[in-house]
Amino acid sequence: MTSQITVTTVLPQAKIKVKKPSALRRKFMLNMIGLWSVLLLWQALAGLGIINSFLLPAPTDVVVALWNLAKDGTLFVHLAASLKRIVFGYLLACAIGLPLGFLCGWSRTAAELIRPIIEALRPVPPLAWVPIAILWFGLGDMSAYFLVFLGCVFPLFFGAYTAVRSIDRNQINAALCLGASRKLLFVDVLFPAALPIMMPNLRLALGIGWMCVVTAELIAAQTGLGYLIQQSRMLFQINNVVAGMVAIGIVGFIMSAAVEKIERHVNAWSPSERS
Amino acid sequence: MSTLIKPHLKISDVGKIYATQEGKKIVALQNVNLSVQRGEFISLLGPSGCGKSTLLNLIAGFQNPTTGAVIQNGVEVLEPNATRTVVFQDYALFNWMTLQKNVEFGLKAKGMTKSERAEVARDFLARVQLAGFEDKLPHEVSGGMKQRAAIARAMAPDPEILLMDEPLGALDAQTRVLLQEEISRLTSEGNCTVIFVTHGIDEAVFLADRVVVMSPRPGRIREIVTSDLGFPRNAASRTDPWFVRTVNKLWETLKPDWQKEEKENA
Repeated sequence: MTSQITVTTVLPQAKIKVKKPSALRRKFMLNMIGLWSVLLLWQALAGLGIINSFLLPAPTDVVVALWNLAKDGTLFVHLAASLKRIVFGYLLACAIGLPLGFLCGWSRTAAELIRPIIEALRPVPPLAWVPIAILWFGLGDMSAYFLVFLGCVFPLFFGAYTAVRSIDRNQINAALCLGASRKLLFVDVLFPAALPIMMPNLRLALGIGWMCVVTAELIAAQTGLGYLIQQSRMLFQINNVVAGMVAIGIVGFIMSAAVEKIERHVNAWSPSERS
Repeated sequence: MSTLIKPHLKISDVGKIYATQEGKKIVALQNVNLSVQRGEFISLLGPSGCGKSTLLNLIAGFQNPTTGAVIQNGVEVLEPNATRTVVFQDYALFNWMTLQKNVEFGLKAKGMTKSERAEVARDFLARVQLAGFEDKLPHEVSGGMKQRAAIARAMAPDPEILLMDEPLGALDAQTRVLLQEEISRLTSEGNCTVIFVTHGIDEAVFLADRVVVMSPRPGRIREIVTSDLGFPRNAASRTDPWFVRTVNKLWETLKPDWQKEEKENA
């Protein structure tokens, strides 16, 4: 028996896991060369005056602007405002989208009732909701929560819906014949079985949510990174505009990397996700 | 005293009709009658399409019969519960739980305390030769070990009836032989009734107290063979003259069905 395990399961995994360090280093080097050559080209074009620095500042100027914004704390005030909005909006969308998705995945009747409503609302992009958001909630946090919620709720709903529908019927039957109550069935079987299938959508929703925050702040708020770049544009502080954009990009990247890390952890038991 | 005479499990005139997507009706089972005594090991043997898995699903309570009833201790079976646990061909282990937690699941559902169920589960894993593998995840062990864990999971809550749906179908020949002997040992130690679905003749005869032979279209019981084999069932049982004779006889009986099946699949 033991020899069988080593042959059938350990070997292929070992192949995938033990990537040669030299291959990794090579990949990293190539990534860096690509990134740095664009930055250097940008810096050179700006330094030679080929790019109008009023339209696009040099990378070094952007770094200085970012540093100054960080030093006087402006950056963090706006960052905190944006983060608060994405967290609340995202959690609100989870609290509504996931249970609805689970419900529709579980019950055909619920799906027939609820899906048409979702399908009717889904094609309207969050940006198109901005006027009505301002009308309903005014400028500020509430509008931003609402727009983030709208951006996140559909991918979360569909993530949960498809996940529940694709759970192996035998696993549900196994739980039922072992005497699982509804609560145990949900907490110990349905939810963990659905989680790895939902994860890509959880990540997707977070990315969309982040875009919605910035969009909302460009128009319907008076704090946040979106507001920072919009205000800097009006004050002709082009360096701060690009610095704000860079900050938005970095935060988005970190969030997506963090979720990906969680995703890998969640999928530890699912061999198909290992590579 | 009448409860003593009542069979443990009674399949009473059971029929099951499915409607296909085109609206055609398929008779999966027709007029199936069977009485099973407590502690009996029943093999349901037959080619594919004979309704043996459907019958198992009806006994489990995953589905309900179109006509007739499945009766356990005088009470009609309508939905699954922990007195009838199932071992599936594809294991259906909870992939996100260790083998230990898998086996604990039914005990947790019973409301057993944490330390109690940990102990019982460890004991059952040891009984299926999985001591030392408690903390492995299902994808880290071989198919045979997965099925051992699934058997432990099904037996741990001490069911009255153990239902096995072609449990060895996905395993290689050697593992199958090993597990047949172990299933025989495990089930003869306890007092639960076993319904074992298979299309392997030797497997059915090797394990059963009674082999229920089914035939297809519509699925029905063709004959019932009562075993002459003693216990324990082991390599010697396979050379027992009665075993050899019965396997050959059943092969002759079922051959036309298999040949027909092969032609239809060609």
